[in-house]
This record gives sequence, C-alpha cells and structure tokens, in this order.
Amino acid sequence: MKQLIADLCCRRRPLGGATCVCFGKSASRFAERSVYSAIICAFLASSAFAQSDAEFTKANTNYAAGHFQEAVNSYETLVRSGEWSANLFYDLGNAYFRVGDLGHAILNYERALALDRHHPEADANLRIVRDEARALEMQSSWPERYFQFGSLNQYSVVAAVAFWLGMFCVFGLIFGRRRSAAIITLSILSFSTLVIAAFAVYKLENGNTGRALAIVTGTGVEARFATADSANSVLALPPGSEIKILSTSGDWIYAALPNNLRGWLPAKSAELVQL
Amino acid sequence: MLIYGMRASIPVFFLALTAFGGANCVLADAPRVTAVLSNSEAAVGQTVQLQIKVMGDRAAEAPENIAVDGLEINRTGTEQHFEMNNFNVSSSVIYNYTILPLKSGTFKIPPQTVRIRSSSLRTPELTLNVADSPGRSSSSRSNRNLQPGDANKLVFAELIVPKKIAFVGEMVPVEIRLGFDPRAHPKLVDGPEITGQGFTAQKLQQSQENLETINGRSYDVVTFKTAVAAARAGKFEIGPVKAKAQVSLPRTPSTSRSRSRSPFDLFNLDDPFSDPFFADPFGQSERRELDVESEPATFEVKPLPANAPPSFSGAVGNFTMTTDAKPKNVQAGDPITVTSTISGRGNFDRVNAPAFEDERGWHKYPPSSKFKQDDDVGISGAKTFETVISPNEKKQALPPLAFSYFDPLKEKYVTLRNDAVPISVQGGAPASPNAVASQPAATAPATVAAKPSPKPQDILYQLTERPARVQSFTPLFARPIFWIAHLIPLAALLGFAGWKIRQAKIDNREARRIGALHQESTDLLRRLRRGEVSPQEYFSDASRAVRVKTALAKNVDPNAVDAEMAAATFQLDENSRAQLHRLFERSDELRYSGRPNGTGTISPENRREVLELIENLRV
Repeated sequence: MKQLIADLCCRRRPLGGATCVCFGKSASRFAERSVYSAIICAFLASSAFAQSDAEFTKANTNYAAGHFQEAVNSYETLVRSGEWSANLFYDLGNAYFRVGDLGHAILNYERALALDRHHPEADANLRIVRDEARALEMQSSWPERYFQFGSLNQYSVVAAVAFWLGMFCVFGLIFGRRRSAAIITLSILSFSTLVIAAFAVYKLENGNTGRALAIVTGTGVEARFATADSANSVLALPPGSEIKILSTSGDWIYAALPNNLRGWLPAKSAELVQL
Repeated sequence: MLIYGMRASIPVFFLALTAFGGANCVLADAPRVTAVLSNSEAAVGQTVQLQIKVMGDRAAEAPENIAVDGLEINRTGTEQHFEMNNFNVSSSVIYNYTILPLKSGTFKIPPQTVRIRSSSLRTPELTLNVADSPGRSSSSRSNRNLQPGDANKLVFAELIVPKKIAFVGEMVPVEIRLGFDPRAHPKLVDGPEITGQGFTAQKLQQSQENLETINGRSYDVVTFKTAVAAARAGKFEIGPVKAKAQVSLPRTPSTSRSRSRSPFDLFNLDDPFSDPFFADPFGQSERRELDVESEPATFEVKPLPANAPPSFSGAVGNFTMTTDAKPKNVQAGDPITVTSTISGRGNFDRVNAPAFEDERGWHKYPPSSKFKQDDDVGISGAKTFETVISPNEKKQALPPLAFSYFDPLKEKYVTLRNDAVPISVQGGAPASPNAVASQPAATAPATVAAKPSPKPQDILYQLTERPARVQSFTPLFARPIFWIAHLIPLAALLGFAGWKIRQAKIDNREARRIGALHQESTDLLRRLRRGEVSPQEYFSDASRAVRVKTALAKNVDPNAVDAEMAAATFQLDENSRAQLHRLFERSDELRYSGRPNGTGTISPENRREVLELIENLRV
C-alpha cells in the first residue's frame, strides 16, 4: 500500500512526455494520511449504508409479512438516522395507512412529495388516504397555483442562471465598443426572469404549501380561538388536514387553517412536513 | 286630551320618511293579514272593534260588510300605517269594523278573504262571547266598582284573561283596561302593574284608547296588552292590576256633601256643567292621587307531557318552519349560511334554532337570531335564525333540520322537518353513505333501494428500491453548494472584465502608435514637397514615407517594409513598381555609398515623379 501511495505521489520517471513533480517527504506523508482517511470514511459510509439498507430490507419484509407496526418502527429508525428518500417516506406512509394512522400516512406521503414532487405512487396514495380521512386541504393562493409547474430548486437554478446571464450582459454593455440591442434585450429578459423566479421561490417557500406546511396527526383535533381547551372551537380538523404554522406559543401553535380560518391547536397534534 | 295621548300618525311626517326612503323603500316581505277583536267578550248592545290588518301591501281589498247571524258588523274606516326600520319602510292597512251584538251567545266570525292584487289571503277565525246584559258581560267587568258619588267612579281598572286553562310555558294574552272620567282631568302616575307569582309577563304595551260609555257614564278607556306564561303547573291567580292616577276633585268644606247639581243636570245626567271645573272655576279644585286596582283573575296551568322530542327546547304554541341556504354551490370547507324561519304564535323567547339531525361531515357555527313580532306583545311573529355551516366533504344536500314544539290545541308535541335543500359541494372526500342515508324519509323516494357503499380504494404497492444518495428537504438556495457554485460564474465574469480592460488598454497603445505614424507620414511629405534637402536625405525621406504608408495600410512595423511589400500592399502596376524599386535602391545606395551630403542634386522631374508616386500610394 505504502509503495502504491508513493508511486501515486512521486513518480521519478517521465510519464507521457511530462515530468511528475515530487513534493518531498512531508507531502508524501500528508498524501498518505489523506488517502487513509478517505479509505476509512468510504468504508464507514459503505458500512452505514449497508446497515441502513439492511434495515430498509427488514422493514419491507415486515410489511410484506403483514407486520405493519414493526415495519413502521423500522422505517422510523431510518428516518431518525437521516437516511431520507422519497421512497422511504412513501413506504412509511403505506405502513402507517395499514396500521390505521391516516394522519401520519398523509404526513409521510406529503414528505415523499416534498422530496420528489413527481412521485406518482405517493401522489396516488395521498389522494386515496385523504379521501378516506376526509382531510381538509389548504387553499393555495393564485401565484402558488401558477408557480406549481416548477419546483423550488428549479426556480432557484433559473434565478441563478438569469442573474449571471444578466450580469454578463451588463458587463458586455459596459466594456463593449457599441451598445448592442440584442444584449440590452437579453439583459432585460434575464433580470425579468430573475425577478419572477425569485418571487416564485419566495411564494413557494412561504406560501400555504411551503416550509410552514404541517399535517394534523392527532385525532379529534379542534382549532380554537384561544390557547385553552375550553376556548370556543374554530374548526374541527380531521387527521391529515393541512395547516400552516404561523407561530408557536408554549404547547400551542397558531396556524392558518383551511377555509381561510386561523386558530390555536396543541403543538403535539401536528407535524411539519419538511424536516 | 288624555295622558297617553300622543298619536303618532302624522301623515306629513310619514310622507317625508317615505320620500327619504326613496329607492331603498322596501315594502315589507310577503303580504300578511291578521284580524283582532278589541274585546273577545261583550254584552248585547255593547260595540266591539274588529281590526283586519294587512301588512306588506297597501293595494288590499277587505270586505265592506261581514255577515254573522246575531252580529251587526259594519266597516267604519281605514287606516294606513308606515313604519321605517333601518331605512326599510313597511306599510300596513288597517280596516276597522264595528260589531254590535244583537243577541247573546258565542259567535264565530268566519275567516274573511282579503284580495291583494292577484292573490288573496284569509283572516283567522275569531270568537266573540256575548252576554245577555252589560252587567254580566264578563266576570271581571262585573267587579267594577262604579258607585255614583264615590271618588272611585272617576277611574276603574279591569283585568281580562280570556283563557282559563293553559299549559306551562304557553303564552296567554292578557288585556288591562283602565277607564278614566275625562272631566276629572286624570293623569296616570304609576302603573299599571300585574302582581302575582309563578308566571312571567311580557312588557305591557298600550294598544288603543277609546271613549266608551259604561253604565251611562263616559270613560276614556286605555287598553294595555300583554301576555303571561306560567312557569309551573297548578292554579294561579293573576293580579290584581294596580295603578295610581291623579284626578281633580272640587275642594269643598265638607267632602261628604255632594256638590250642587248643575241647573242643567235636572235628571242627574252627565251634562258638561256638572264638571268639577264648573263648580270651582277659579282653581278651588284639588289634585288627589287615587289607587286603582282590579279584581284578580284565576287560571289553571297544566304540565307538558313527558315524551318531549330531543329537539324540543320549550317552545309552546303553533309554528311553521321555512329553510333556505346560500350559496348552494361551494367548495369543501366553504361556509354556507342556512336561514331558518320559525313563524307563528307562541313563546318565542323559548324558540331556539332548529337542530341539524346529522352533523357528520359538517362543521357548524353558533347561530344568530332575529325576531320580528307581528303584534303588540310579541307572541306572534317570525324568528329567523342564521347558522353558518361548512361541509368537510362532498355533499348533495343540507342535513335535515328539526324543530319541535308543543301544540296546546292538539295537546301534543309536533316536530317540524324541512324539505331537503339540494346543494353542490366540490372538492374534499365524497359524502359518507351514512350521511346520504340520513336524509329525511319523506324526501327520499321509498322505492329506491339503498346502493351498496363502494369499497374504499386500496393504496399502491411498496417500493423496495432506495436511491443511492440521501435526499434533503433543505431547498437548494439554502445549501452551501449552491452559493459555492456561484464562484464559477463570478470568476468567469471577473476574467471577462479583466480581459476587456486589458484589451482596452492594448487598443489604446495601438491607437497612439498609428497616430504617430500618421504624423510622421505628413511631416515626411511636407519635407519632400519643399525639396530643400540633400539627395541622400530626400531619398531616405521618400523611402521612409513609403514604409510608413505601407505600415499604416498593413498595420505592421515600418522598418519591416521593403519595396516589394509596399508594391504588393498598394497593388502597383509594373511601371510604378519599378519606380518604387528604384526609389528604394537609390535610397539604399545613397545611404550606404558613403558619398558626402550635398555633392549631387535632384532634378525637378525626379522630385515630381517621386512625389506623385508617394502621393498615389492608396489602398
């Protein structure tokens, strides 16, 4: 191994007509340590991945065998370890559906779609479970509805590209010998696109279905006018209903509710979609 | 003249209000008609007033005469009333009839048809009890203490309770009549007030004021109306009614002595000159307060039956219910306002909003209510409830509403249910089969068999593939890699800017060099035209001028230019080319031959040829 590293680091013979540069003994040691570290990291990563892969397989096996609660536990272990993927949340949603927890099922389908908005299975199952749970949905504002054809990340990339294209155009106009109409038009288009894309990012991130979107996971949850169980009810929220968390006060959250209502509900009765 | 006396019927004022109402003038809702008797008990020869009141339309036609055997009923006049409430003007027409009983007995005045434009309405049937003599017309009336010579003859109070048996909570109308001798200038100081326990009474309302002749004396009779409802079962005594009035009495040394009779009152009749005022025209009368008290009335209260329906809230009377909902096309979660109106006669203070029989799939908000009374005491009218509900799922109809009350005439509970109000709810989950099945049976066709509930759709399969890379909820713009990636275009932009700046600098140097060459060319030509130099200098300048011109044309160094390049640059013909070669050779020869300056001269032809050659060098 040492020889290999030394060979990789410092070749004294000409290589393809060029001469390799040797950095001396200390550089060789540094490279040696780096390679060792990289190998250890790769080993640990592959070991962890293999372990989580085994957990995933175990969860799937439990699910196939009809041991849905065990499957939920295994999937949840993977979620807690941060091994997130759309398929994992989708499978977890299925397992929750099988144990009759429709609120958590909807929550995990929503999470799968948050990671991959074109996940057809999660989309289909979400519709089925929503119908069964009679869950209420938040109404999207019209900009959100129009911007739904792209994802947040796509709009981020578009905004970045438009910005740099616009900047190059501006520099071209500054340093160019003559003001080209094409460059002026392109720069205007670029900055217009930047503004629209930035607005889309803002609306999708802060809208009703953005980062503050949460799902009611408890049963018999009622939004109330004040932070007390005895306060008047604003709206009964079936499990799986969407809310948008506006603020938190102790054990209560103040949320925008479907039907353009607002109310307080216990913090433990809802979970954010985006972890 | 009397105390309570300000009648509010000033036509000009109402006309002004009507004009002010303008386009907002809304003439009530649907036309309605009521009929009331001023007194349900009378004696033979004692007149009773009948009023037929038409609300909501002034173009009503009431019958001129009403034929009832034993009663003489004649129309005596018509009144028009306007009422403005929140700029909504409502109008009513009152047709007054005078009933003169011709014989004793119980008379039924049949429903009368009132024609309103193309439609017609019917009044309720009324009952009038007629006694054979005035002294026995009613139990209360017989208790009047109107002995001549007594101060009490100036005033009297009468409590009329037409119903002797009622149910708990049932509204029983009660009439209080206070009579005043007008000559005593009476003034009501306090009351009237109904005393007694175990019942609740509505607020007293003064309904009318008439001049009546009772036992041969004239009285201003003020009638108050109210309604009482018993809170518990048993026998009750209502009253007596108490009031306090001030009257003017003559101040005489001995009050026991009757005042001198007027010479015009020969037969002890009530002539105007018997008035105490004439007995003491210079203020010798005094004002005295009199307590007015009626006889109490008794009635029996029966308890309500035990089998009250769930939606019974204590309403006793006779009611109808109408329901409407707006809007009828909504999205799931949108609010729908359900308006239900309970109208009729009864204890409206116990009338609560109709209850939804099946609230599943709906979210209900507390209702609001509004009561519009049709009579003076508030036992007849319409109570409107507005309830906001929102569907949580797809629905095709509103949940049925139920309202229960106790009907004292039928002596049983009645539950009203509305017809199904169809609505359309979009979005959300489809309605549960239970909710559909819970529609009232009356509205659903009995022959339609219940459809089997569809089996819930099953979810899709598990996905056993895991992507190789872990995904993140963090949006791209919040990740460091996104901003690090911007370093690439930033570096490119800076490189582009640097390159452009350098290019500009280079362009500037080149411009200066070209300018210098132009200047040199101009100077050389000027010197060649003067011809004051030696041949060596002349040819040297000439060849230099050619080199400079060629360098400007080809953007090269002038020192790198030779005769061939110059000839090729300017595309000279053979003659000029040879001439150019000779010029360069002569210049070299003179430069390198070593001959001293000024040893030879240049002929003017040579000079002209060289000048022409150089000046004609153009690209």
